[in-house]
Amino acid sequence: MGNVAFAARALCQGLEIPYVMPEKNNKGTLVTGAYYSPEEICLPFKIMMGNFLECIERGADTILFVGSCGPCRFGEYSELMMKILRKMEHDIDFIVFDMSPEIGIGEIRRRLGKVLERSPVSLARKLSAVKKAMKIQYLCDRLDRAAYLKAGYEARKGGCKRLLNEYKARLYECQSPEEALNILKLYVKKLASIEIDKSKKPIKIAIIGEIYTVIEPFSNLNIEEKLMDYGVSSERMLTPSWWVKDTALKPLKLNSLRVSRAAAKYLPYPVGGHCKECVGEAYLAGKKAMDGAIQILPMGCMPEIIAKSILPTIQKDTNLPVLTLIVDEVTGEAGFITRVEAFLDMLSSRRKKPDMAS
Amino acid sequence: MKIGIPRGLLYPKYHIFAKAFFKALGAELIISPATNKKILDEGVKLCADEACLPMKVFHGHVAWLRDRCDALFIPRFMSIEKNEHICPMFCGLIEMLKSNINGLPRVIDEPIYSFHRDKLFKWARRAAAGITSDRQRIKAAFDRAWDMQGRASLGYRDEYDLKIALIGHAYNVFDEFVNMDIRKKLNKMGIGIVTGECVGKSDIEAQAAKLFKKPFWTFAKEYYGAALSIFKNSMADGMIYLSSFSCGIDSVVTELIKIELGDFPFMVLKLDEHTGEAGYNTRLEAFADMLKRRRAGFDNNLSQYGQCGICRTRSLPGA
Repeated sequence: MGNVAFAARALCQGLEIPYVMPEKNNKGTLVTGAYYSPEEICLPFKIMMGNFLECIERGADTILFVGSCGPCRFGEYSELMMKILRKMEHDIDFIVFDMSPEIGIGEIRRRLGKVLERSPVSLARKLSAVKKAMKIQYLCDRLDRAAYLKAGYEARKGGCKRLLNEYKARLYECQSPEEALNILKLYVKKLASIEIDKSKKPIKIAIIGEIYTVIEPFSNLNIEEKLMDYGVSSERMLTPSWWVKDTALKPLKLNSLRVSRAAAKYLPYPVGGHCKECVGEAYLAGKKAMDGAIQILPMGCMPEIIAKSILPTIQKDTNLPVLTLIVDEVTGEAGFITRVEAFLDMLSSRRKKPDMAS
Repeated sequence: MKIGIPRGLLYPKYHIFAKAFFKALGAELIISPATNKKILDEGVKLCADEACLPMKVFHGHVAWLRDRCDALFIPRFMSIEKNEHICPMFCGLIEMLKSNINGLPRVIDEPIYSFHRDKLFKWARRAAAGITSDRQRIKAAFDRAWDMQGRASLGYRDEYDLKIALIGHAYNVFDEFVNMDIRKKLNKMGIGIVTGECVGKSDIEAQAAKLFKKPFWTFAKEYYGAALSIFKNSMADGMIYLSSFSCGIDSVVTELIKIELGDFPFMVLKLDEHTGEAGYNTRLEAFADMLKRRRAGFDNNLSQYGQCGICRTRSLPGA
């Protein structure tokens, strides 16, 4: 899932737990995953299933997974994955971290213990490993965010994209959390030194939608990189580090206050998934006078379909154009690009003749 | 005051309560007609393309009622069992409707948490706010409606030699237009229908408890539990799951059921606005034939070329 793999690997390295690093998501992953998944389940399930099967082939014997308790389908993933893997006769230890009150704190501790008992290092080193992993995640997200934003302003085109790909390739090869941190720090500096042209006024787009499909570039056909190629600045609030913060603050109801407030007018009750975030971000993007928003969702995603129904109202209220892109395993790249290009053309002509646009 | 009640989604489950309650409050009721082609077409036009068929049908019902009533009763079911949800779409249904349909009258849309009588009564007090302020009357109306709903029973249990368990959302199983009157079609072929309502609550809970994780969707729990109880107690000879295309819950539940059933006959029928009746009939007929053949004990892998599958006589000319 996007850059989470780097942090997760650093955590395993720090805890000295043997791990299998999945390959970067590719067509093969999806084909395998989709083959063994239910036909109508959403795209993230299929990609994850593909990841699991690839890792099992390369010797993994335990799967760590997070769960939720609805109302979106993600909460039922673990149940279904376990059953499918068992049916395929893979003997896998499936450990699920779940916030459900049904389980109780004892069971959560038991499951956590099952993971930690494999780690030979002391408690202090365990904590420091967690801290380092979080730091890696945070830096990755910061780098991505800065690069996507800067891409519209860079004096020589292509610099940001090159740096992003470079740091990812180097992180993929690196062997310890410390090394990863050094690489990240180096690239934060490198990115800061990229020359920018302040006179440019690039198109600015907010990327909103379902969290997995916006974070994992493979699932959204690399939309952010494509936008960089077009010299467009993009912004996205949903990142893995945002998710960590959000989950930690949820019990106190202090999570993403700004977005919740913005969404309250359109969506007074919780509906699950990240529908509220999607609606709130769209509204805020409209208020900030960004040029447009692109909503990405996997086919059949229930919370995002609700969001999609509400977005036209926000478009009317804030004059923000929104393009909805739905992805699944048969999404063709050419049609996808055509739609993005048409959208960008429309945005730039709107700028030239704002009154013509409506 | 005229209150409109759309005959869509969970209407078969709550209509007795809703009608009794609003009538006792002194409101005039307008109920949209049974789903028909016009309602479906209107709904498809108004609703987001990606939504499931029942949501589109519901949009059609609401559009029909729009200019015919002063207030619309659209239940916002948040949770009907403690710590469980039903479906995300139900929580956001009202926002979808308001966004998709212009010129809606006042909507009675207070969230419903109906797992406890007191919780539901709180809803009743808020829902009655615009109709009457007489507290005694609200209480009496609520008690009456609660009793009537409590006595109501839903579901089919046909007495036929061959029986099919029909599992799925109430709005697919009981809406005769949406499911193209599957019950009549099967009855004509000499097959009866058993629905999930025949299974007791404790049996459902017992089956659901065997899952690794208790499902947080009440729907999922009910369908999974009912399907497995029917299968384990041999209450039917085959099973049909009526599923709406792109339904998130169905995509998980059908798979969970399928894994448990082994070689028990099981068919998933997907419904959406493009479902053609001819193809639907063919699948039902094929399924029925298969069940009959199984019953007759001819379920082997030998080719039946040139033979009648049931009586095993050579019935084709020239064969």
